[in-house]
Amino acid sequence: MTRVSRRDFVRLGASGAAAAPWVLTPAAIGGATVTAQDVVDRVRQAAGVEWNAATADGFKAGDPSTAVTGIVTTSLATIEVMRRAVTAGANLIVTAGPTFYSRGDSPMPSAGRGRGAASTAAPDPVFTSKNDFIRTHNLVVWRFSDHWRVRTPDPFARGLAEALDWARYLRTGDPLQLVVPAVTLEALASRVKSRLDARGGVRVVGRPQTRVRTVGLLPGTRTIQDTVAALPRVDAIVAGEIREWESSEYVRDVVNAGVGKGLILVGRSLSEDAGMKVCADWLRPMVPEAPVRWLPAGDPFWRPTA
Amino acid sequence: MTAGEVVARIKKNLGAPWREATYRDTFKCGGPDTRVTGIATTAFASLDVIQRAVAAGLNMIIPHEVTFWNDRDDVGLVSADPLLFARKRAYLDAHNVVIFRTHDSMHDQRPDFTYVGSARELGLDARYETAPGSHRFTLPETTLGALATTLQRRIGARALRVVGDPAAKVSRVLLGVGYATPAANAADVDVVISGEQQEVDGILDSPEYVLDAATLGIPKGWIMLGHAVSEEAGMLEMTQWIKGFVPDVPVQLVKAGEPFWAP
Repeated sequence: MTRVSRRDFVRLGASGAAAAPWVLTPAAIGGATVTAQDVVDRVRQAAGVEWNAATADGFKAGDPSTAVTGIVTTSLATIEVMRRAVTAGANLIVTAGPTFYSRGDSPMPSAGRGRGAASTAAPDPVFTSKNDFIRTHNLVVWRFSDHWRVRTPDPFARGLAEALDWARYLRTGDPLQLVVPAVTLEALASRVKSRLDARGGVRVVGRPQTRVRTVGLLPGTRTIQDTVAALPRVDAIVAGEIREWESSEYVRDVVNAGVGKGLILVGRSLSEDAGMKVCADWLRPMVPEAPVRWLPAGDPFWRPTA
Repeated sequence: MTAGEVVARIKKNLGAPWREATYRDTFKCGGPDTRVTGIATTAFASLDVIQRAVAAGLNMIIPHEVTFWNDRDDVGLVSADPLLFARKRAYLDAHNVVIFRTHDSMHDQRPDFTYVGSARELGLDARYETAPGSHRFTLPETTLGALATTLQRRIGARALRVVGDPAAKVSRVLLGVGYATPAANAADVDVVISGEQQEVDGILDSPEYVLDAATLGIPKGWIMLGHAVSEEAGMLEMTQWIKGFVPDVPVQLVKAGEPFWAP
């Protein structure tokens, strides 16, 4: 997926269902219907990993018996992504991230959460509007991250490699690695930023002129153990999110000691965007009754350009 | 004087009960008997900071954050690292360095210097604070974009990150520090400024919340300075405070600085 075609897709989604040739009603493909629960049952069958109810995966909103008109995969089920899904005629959102702003995904804020001293028990307008939007448009939201993530090879890492247009340089390993024509850390960071359509979310630790040939891919949220295990084996790591008192300090320490290494952080959501495109491609043949499309949630962050 | 005497004076002057059970505010290297030639305060005890301290004749490091890249400074998690761990350990031993972390105690102290330093650097003037120590500032109305630009120019952070509509009209700012970031959904707060917070799968994921608020036209903003930038400013106040009761040896701030740059 190149930047151009990705942007074209976004434009297509924003321009309305009539302009989206892939939006088909169930009747248009012979009247076969499939419910959200049917889709989930097929995914669970095909996932190839034992289903674990203790994970974050599951229905987060809507009625599982809803007939599916179209499926959208995304890294984050924001209202913006939902609006684009509705425009495209889809009503099942398959998301890697939460819908209601926490791992618990409660559709209303829990008592005390984020409540300031001067606030009352008034309903939170963001939660309320999101619930209303889901209800009005008969949407179903299903989270699929923990089971998707444990597949081998890591589909989020494969998605990152494809988004960088470097899938041909992919080598198996733990983590998945790229062996690329030599590039500086600075050039690598620029490539990551432009290929992922990042705005302000990309942050780098390391010397800009450090030469990079091997890149470890660590999408998602990663621990210091992940970083300590990966860094000796590669020149640079492209990761989603880490804890700053752990991995970025470790890499800074290593770099300042004169070791030529780098760490490029893109943020959790952006690091998982492309992996949900892989998910759409995986789902499509499984659900012939409904169109399946990827809608990138994009980079949540920006930075002043001053 | 010994490192143990320095720590005893810190406890005596803290003005808050010492957490005897803390695993954070302990010796990470050396011990109470190590003789102190001088004290360096910093956000992170990186090898680079330690080397600069030693070059300045300071062998006691008092960091707010970690030495061995995890909250417990559990060397078992990182000792297999072939790139730096053994080298850092050897340098510390060779130069008779003693490290004592002040994290929990610094946040228990009133005022908490991390907030004082951050507000000072950001230009969040006390006259805008709703009450001393509330960390809530009512600023003259501005936009999120203008506020973020002003802050970035003041502190020079290269990799500050913002979520929200740059045109959102904002006034009520809640300041957090380090990782203890207030959630963005408080009804009486427009903008949260802090150091670092988990992006997804936390108690309240402010980035997604603020994205949705922006879509709905509700003015909200989330400005993350980075953990080091957020908390290192207050190490200046910490340095001055320690100087007041440790006149025997030099006390200096040795900055770890911002680890990130942006493409």
